[in-house]
Amino acid sequence: MFLKVSLITAVTVVGYIIAQSRFKLSVELSMLVAGLVAAVAGGNWLPLRHIAEGSVAYIDLALIFFTATLFMNIIKTAGGLDYAVRAIMTRFGKLRAVALILLMFIMLIPGAITGSGSVSVLVSGGAVALALATMGISRQRIAAIVFLLAGLSAVAPPVSVWAMMTCAGTAIPYVGFELPLGIPVLVLGIFTVLWLGLPRSESVGDVAVSLPKVDPDVTAVRTLVPFVVVFGLVIAARVWPFDMPILGLPLVFAIGAIVAYLLNVKKVNFLNVATDTVTQLLPLLTTIIVIGIVIQMLTLTGVRGLVSYAVIAMPLWLIFSLLPITIPVSEGALGFGGAAVIGIPLIWTFNSMGVHPTIALSGLSLLWCLGDALPPSAIIGRLTVQTVGYKGSYGSFVKACAVPWVLITIVGTLMVVFSRELSFLVRV
Amino acid sequence: MSRQVLGKAIIAVLALIVLVVGGKELYDHRHYPEPVVLGPGVTRVESLSDYHAPLKGTTNDAKVYVLEGQEEGGGVLVLGGTHPGEVAGILAAIVMVENAVPIKGDLYIIPHISRSGSTGTQPTGAFPLYYEIETEFGSRKFRMGDRVTNPLDQWPDPDVFIHYPEGQSLSYVEIRNINRCWPGRPDGTLTEQTTYAAMQLVREKGINVVIDLHEAELLYPVTNCIVAPTKSATIAALAQINLGMDFDIHTEPSPSGYRGLSHREVGDYSDAYPFLFEAPEPFLDQPTGPKTQELLLEGVDEFLLAAGRKGLLFVEYDETGKPIELRVGRHLHTLLGVLSEWNWSSACPPGREIELECPDYYDLIENGVGAFLRDPDAVGPDQVVFD
Repeated sequence: MFLKVSLITAVTVVGYIIAQSRFKLSVELSMLVAGLVAAVAGGNWLPLRHIAEGSVAYIDLALIFFTATLFMNIIKTAGGLDYAVRAIMTRFGKLRAVALILLMFIMLIPGAITGSGSVSVLVSGGAVALALATMGISRQRIAAIVFLLAGLSAVAPPVSVWAMMTCAGTAIPYVGFELPLGIPVLVLGIFTVLWLGLPRSESVGDVAVSLPKVDPDVTAVRTLVPFVVVFGLVIAARVWPFDMPILGLPLVFAIGAIVAYLLNVKKVNFLNVATDTVTQLLPLLTTIIVIGIVIQMLTLTGVRGLVSYAVIAMPLWLIFSLLPITIPVSEGALGFGGAAVIGIPLIWTFNSMGVHPTIALSGLSLLWCLGDALPPSAIIGRLTVQTVGYKGSYGSFVKACAVPWVLITIVGTLMVVFSRELSFLVRV
Repeated sequence: MSRQVLGKAIIAVLALIVLVVGGKELYDHRHYPEPVVLGPGVTRVESLSDYHAPLKGTTNDAKVYVLEGQEEGGGVLVLGGTHPGEVAGILAAIVMVENAVPIKGDLYIIPHISRSGSTGTQPTGAFPLYYEIETEFGSRKFRMGDRVTNPLDQWPDPDVFIHYPEGQSLSYVEIRNINRCWPGRPDGTLTEQTTYAAMQLVREKGINVVIDLHEAELLYPVTNCIVAPTKSATIAALAQINLGMDFDIHTEPSPSGYRGLSHREVGDYSDAYPFLFEAPEPFLDQPTGPKTQELLLEGVDEFLLAAGRKGLLFVEYDETGKPIELRVGRHLHTLLGVLSEWNWSSACPPGREIELECPDYYDLIENGVGAFLRDPDAVGPDQVVFD
């Protein structure tokens, strides 16, 4: 079994490399080819049922991406983003550090409430990027700020999906996570935004975009009411959970989009914006579908199990040492599936060795959020680059994240290693 | 037609073929009628909707098999398929329906409490759609399901699930997990209404003992065990002492801070004594080879054997694996052990004892599960129920 599955793993990787380098296929098609190669190598030939099943694994995420982007694109087309940026910068622009920290909270809130970093990018990313540009920050650094804050927003309480999913699989109550998740997110968020945002760009082409002009008919009501509706619906579901119907985030954003459109009927051609949104998101939606198929194939052939085994079979010191690699890579390869494939067995292993699960899981969540910039999926990384309009190479964007990335990694890893000493943070 | 349009048309047709051919298998699985033969002890078949009318016509209107004893006594509710991927619980419940005969007291058995979950698959899980148990008359085929309610029956999920009535926040997917939705809500989600119906059954029939049959990973400490809240702990502990002579078993306390679980809420919201049994199922572990029927039924896996050699597992595990007859046998034997202790315990009111004849661990180990499954074609149509 070990030899067979190892060979399938090798053949899968080779299939991906050949598809990309020899046949010049896109990342998405190369991943699909690799998944199909894995299936054939595992003796499953063309498993149509598994392809169909895997392709819908992340359909909820795809719907959220579409409806949230449509919502923001309507606001943007109506001039709402320009209005919001102008309002923030005219009030706080001269207090650079204060403005940066305020923008940090604008990025953190959507992800903290929904558990989704991509929602932070889609809802706040565009406006925050524009505001940062007016402060003379380079596009490369803007992309890094938006991505890292979006990642931290997904870790932030009250909703951290990685922690919740691992808790669900390990029968650990999702309680007591407020401080272990909240304190590092705030400290690391402030460091990130100040480290990347305080220095002005020296590059001539990048320097200070002037504040956008705003049409007189763009008003606070037209801009803010759609956001109030979206956040109102999300918060109402928490305040009155047993009285509110379950709408789900896709419908919440769809309602927000309709409200935004109705408030700006004269300025927005709904069909054009919807069509542009589909075109804009096509590569990302394709990735989500293909990732589901590939994970299904890796499970079908035992590759997923081998990866999971390889992680937990290491001695504890080696597990700790490799966490900065294994955890983000699992996220890059499997999305939230990483929490199930590696997180659950890891927490059980830790638990039996006396590691405090709540603190360890909080530390792991910090590491998981970094993986959203890593291939093959790199979903939030790519979404960020697209949203902020960064035209440089993807590698240069990742490079700009380096210093906060290292600090987040150190904090996350130390939280796992010193979980018992930090257990005072858990207040139940 | 330009080459680009032609290319797109070809891709669209290919996608449609995948969708139709691949989707057909999933459609057939969802609608596969699973036969259950009514055994000598079954006196009537009810539905969950008899206890909560809004469930009528829904996928979760599960069958409730009632086996009334020759003498009056207590009542026991047996739940299988809370998590439909934990198949030993379902098979143990079906073996009881087809073989058990109560002497004293009444049995209420629900093999598919999460019937909706049994009609779904786990995307990216690559599970087999069915599993077949060999018998003397051929094989009996069963649906392999997902852990949670099928999204075709309950969707969308919220971004966070808030448990009713305790208000605890849980992962969004748990809103479709039967064993996070106890004690249920009459106007809640399908999953909450299902547990509410079962709670109504417990209350209306004066059920004394509720037994929820599960399976767990070998990497998970809560396996090979009985989970019980404080009120059931003495019975569980005494049963464990006796059962310990037959196989490894221990008791685990039901955590008071973790809401929605049957072993917590059934006891808190009714007079019944809840117990949850966990048998070891290697198929559920993450570090395994392909998720095949063989792994599901034989429970032999090289990755887990290697993990066992490194001391990572919480149960003894060798090349003999964890075959289905061992897991079903454990459940039945543990159930008989718990009921035996119930009869002796101070918790059992006079006249509420429960006694039954049922295959036990040794019967299953010696003869296999197939020996206790009846042939649906050998009995009249009124003796077969499709679940």
